[in-house]
Amino acid sequence: MKSVLLHKTAPQIAQELHACIGCNECLLACPAVAEPISIDVLNRETFTGAISAPVARFARSCYQCGACVAPCPVGLHRDAMMMWLKVRLLRSGRGE
Amino acid sequence: MVLYYQPEHNLCEHAKESIVQSQMYRDVSFAFKVVRGVNMQHTVEHADMVIVGNGIAGLTAAVEARRLAPGARIAIITDQCHPTINTPALKQFAIGKLTQEQLLAYPVGTERARRVRVINARVEEINAHGKYLGLRGGLTFGYGSLLIATGSRPNGLPLHLPGRDFDGVLTLHCLQDYLDLRRRLYGVDSAVVIGGGAHASETVMGLLHHGVDVHWLIRGETFLSQMLDATASSMVLENVRNAGAKIAMKTEVIGIVGRMGSVVGVITNDNKMIPCQLVLVCTGTSPVTTLAQRCTTPMMHGDGIFVDEHSRTNVRDIYAAGDVAARKNPQTGKYETQAQWYAAVLQGRSAAAAMTGQQELTAHSMGVPWHATHLGELLMLTVGNPLHKFAGATILTDRSKKKYCRMIIIGDRLAGYLSIGASQPDGLAIKSIIDEGLSIHRVKKTLLKGKFDARKYLSQWRSEEALDMITSGEIPVVKPVYFLPSVGSDERRAMDFNAYPVTPDQSFPAVAYKSIRILSTCADQPTIHGWEHDVGPSTAGAQFIVPFASAKEVESFLLPLPSRPVARSLWSYSEKMPVVKARISSSQRTEKKQSEKANFLL
Repeated sequence: MKSVLLHKTAPQIAQELHACIGCNECLLACPAVAEPISIDVLNRETFTGAISAPVARFARSCYQCGACVAPCPVGLHRDAMMMWLKVRLLRSGRGE
Repeated sequence: MVLYYQPEHNLCEHAKESIVQSQMYRDVSFAFKVVRGVNMQHTVEHADMVIVGNGIAGLTAAVEARRLAPGARIAIITDQCHPTINTPALKQFAIGKLTQEQLLAYPVGTERARRVRVINARVEEINAHGKYLGLRGGLTFGYGSLLIATGSRPNGLPLHLPGRDFDGVLTLHCLQDYLDLRRRLYGVDSAVVIGGGAHASETVMGLLHHGVDVHWLIRGETFLSQMLDATASSMVLENVRNAGAKIAMKTEVIGIVGRMGSVVGVITNDNKMIPCQLVLVCTGTSPVTTLAQRCTTPMMHGDGIFVDEHSRTNVRDIYAAGDVAARKNPQTGKYETQAQWYAAVLQGRSAAAAMTGQQELTAHSMGVPWHATHLGELLMLTVGNPLHKFAGATILTDRSKKKYCRMIIIGDRLAGYLSIGASQPDGLAIKSIIDEGLSIHRVKKTLLKGKFDARKYLSQWRSEEALDMITSGEIPVVKPVYFLPSVGSDERRAMDFNAYPVTPDQSFPAVAYKSIRILSTCADQPTIHGWEHDVGPSTAGAQFIVPFASAKEVESFLLPLPSRPVARSLWSYSEKMPVVKARISSSQRTEKKQSEKANFLL
């Protein structure tokens, strides 16, 4: 059996969000972010609760370039978290 | 300004009345009575869950407790003058990469939105019998359950070091320290950093980023000697040297020189003077165990307050989480604090679940320690105990020009991992591999080379596990590499948890080891709760009470399996389920006969 899941699972995303130290390095490196978004709000909305309009716009504009991964001091994967956010947007019917 | 009425204050009645009024109208709004002319008699304010400290462990616990217990009264008592912040991001804040508002760990107004009452006061003592806290100023506050999340304090410089009070000598620990550093940084050309840990190295890199000439003084022979071996240490130091820092090993400061009250240099133990305008002290931290010492019931503590898997201390209804809590390291069996962000978050959540009575959510270990950081171009990752000398372990290393990896393997399982290089594998995935005891047989080489695709590996593993479950009908057994004896260690010294104070090495009580003991049994583990003896009939007569639901062997602390036996078939429930047939009523019987007759006629 060779099935492979390309993005992280919910427990893995939760683990990464808990490990985020909020240094903002990922957002500083991101070429897609176009308006001020604080890391605490992004973290909260990535996993549960309502997704605010700025975060939704940011999630839609993220093109998974991976520029956010290298600068993370603790080796987290913001790209996977953004993928999760995209999935949540699609599920809520706001993925357009 | 906060005014507290002290009974010993010699004030006129009018003044007493004024102070009392002013206190009653503060947002803290303690309720108490004044008995005129005699003294002050307090009515005890009370909350179901009281958390001391508003660090990340404290606030996480409060938020989680609110989620689990929507109707509970939750209060945080703290003497900190700012909301909860991302403390690891303070280094980025110091060099101007972050604004003050960006440091907030939770969105503004989280406490109010979650109905968590925040009280700005200092807790002086715990009365465990009466279940109330004594606050500074003579006030008291009752609790149903209490969480101690008081964090840690910096070790700083020795008390008698000459010149330690000069202006420009900063111990970096809290927001105020970094605000101070940030204000000063623009006028500084050279600085001395003291300390041999990750905190010091990150501070050095931050100063270099800011263009400051840095001297880094390390007392030991290697950098981060608890986590890195000599090869890894030399690689890191070489990298920091290349970035521009001047590093002095085996060097201590014996005095600080100042002029007109400000620092101008430090004197080292080899009688050299290093001129500087700033001395930054990063000599580690110690847990704040003051409340454990000031508890009416003796609370077990050493280097941290000892807690079990559910964050419970040995005192009933008192829990501890964050930097102050010493949990058992699953690999070494010793009680250790983990002054790390991730551990504090998990411990806060775990404590909240335990305080709200949701024990099933807490019955897992935090797993092995995990640490990752950037040091300029170099990425450092340690998982588990890469330096621990486990019996029967194989050590694999891989060294190239700009890369180093060290793995400790027992059988086909990973026990420790260290990686230094320009890239690093997924640290949390490697932590999962160790915590869950997954086989690394197929990926040993790629792990060692640092080309490990954790996402793919874990995904494949889960898929195969799911397939096995479907085909065999058995739940997979999790076998993490826990409680392994060290090389040369004999049977461990027993520690009587009921006798306090504890032994200095804080080692876990005697465990009978086999040659390679993969799992511990719950029966091996005596409880740290003396009070559990009188909890209920199930605990009666036991010398040591297991802090779990059953004394049977549990396969894992990380992934608690359902209560049914592990080897039992998944489908056995349906096979062994007794067939229950409902009785058919007389009216139904006649209907059935009629329909049969109708079918026959058709």
